[in-house]
Amino acid sequence: MKNKILILICVLIFFIGIIGSAFVLFTPKKTNVNIKRDGRLLYSFDLSNTEDSEIEIPYGNSSNTIEIKDGKIRVKEAECPDKTCVNMGWLSSASMPIVCLPNHLVIEFAAGYEDGVDAVAR
Amino acid sequence: MKAKRLAELSVLTAVSLIIFIVELQIPNPFPIPGIKLGLANIITVFAVYHYRAYEVAMIVGVRLVLGSIFGGNITALIYSASGAVLCLLGMLLLKRIIDEKHIWIASILGAVLHNTGQIIAAVIVTQTVQIIAYYPFLLVSGCLAGLFTGLCAQLIMPRIKFFRK
Repeated sequence: MKNKILILICVLIFFIGIIGSAFVLFTPKKTNVNIKRDGRLLYSFDLSNTEDSEIEIPYGNSSNTIEIKDGKIRVKEAECPDKTCVNMGWLSSASMPIVCLPNHLVIEFAAGYEDGVDAVAR
Repeated sequence: MKAKRLAELSVLTAVSLIIFIVELQIPNPFPIPGIKLGLANIITVFAVYHYRAYEVAMIVGVRLVLGSIFGGNITALIYSASGAVLCLLGMLLLKRIIDEKHIWIASILGAVLHNTGQIIAAVIVTQTVQIIAYYPFLLVSGCLAGLFTGLCAQLIMPRIKFFRK
C-alpha cells in the first residue's frame, strides 16, 4: 500500500514534468533579447532590427561567441568543457533561456512591452 | 573503522569513479544542462542500503571531488554537490520506509531530488529565476534515469552479496 502511494507520486512527478516541458516548449518567441551574467545586464538587443553580427563575451580565461543572424540568436562557440549552450541552438522559447553554467552566461527573451501582438500592430 | 570496512568503501568509490568517467565519454543527445544517466549513482543507491549514512557520504563526497577533477569540469562541482546533498538526505530518509525490494522507487525520488538541488544551485549562482524553465525537463529525465539506475542496483544487489561476507 505504502509502495503504491510512492509509485503514484513518481508517476505524478513524471507527468507534471511532461506537461511542464510542453508548456515551456510552446511559449511563443519575443524580439527583445537580454544577455546577462550573475543577474547583471551585459547586452540588450531588439532582434527584429539588429544586423547579423558576432560578439565575443570573455569570462576569465574562457569566452562565448554569440551569433545574431536573420533575427535569431545563438551561442556559436564556447570554451566551456560541456558545450551545452552551443548544442541548444537558436533561442526559441520565451520561458527557456540559453544558459552557459560554467561561464555564468544567460541569454533570454526580455519580459517587456514588446510581445508578439505589439510587433504585429506596428 | 576496521580495515576491511575501509577497503570495501574504497573499492566502491573506485568503481563509481570509473563508471562516472566512462559515462563522460558517452555523448549527451539532450542539449539541456543537468540531463544525464548518472550511472555512478548505481553505487550510491547500493551503498545507501548497505552502509551507514556517514560512510555513504564519504563515498559520494570523494567521488564528486575526484570526478570533477578527472572530468576537467570543476565549475560543475557546485551544481552536482548541491544535488548530491539533497539526494542523499532524501534517500537516507526514504530508506526507512522503502524496503530493499523496491529500491527503484527510492532511486527515482533520489534522482528527482538531485535535479531539484541542481536547479536551486543554478538559480542562486546565476541569479536568474528563468532557469526554472529547465526543471520540467529535468523531472522527466530524472524519473527515467532514476528508474534505470534503481533497476541496475536491484539487479546488482544479490550478485554482490558474496563479497560482503
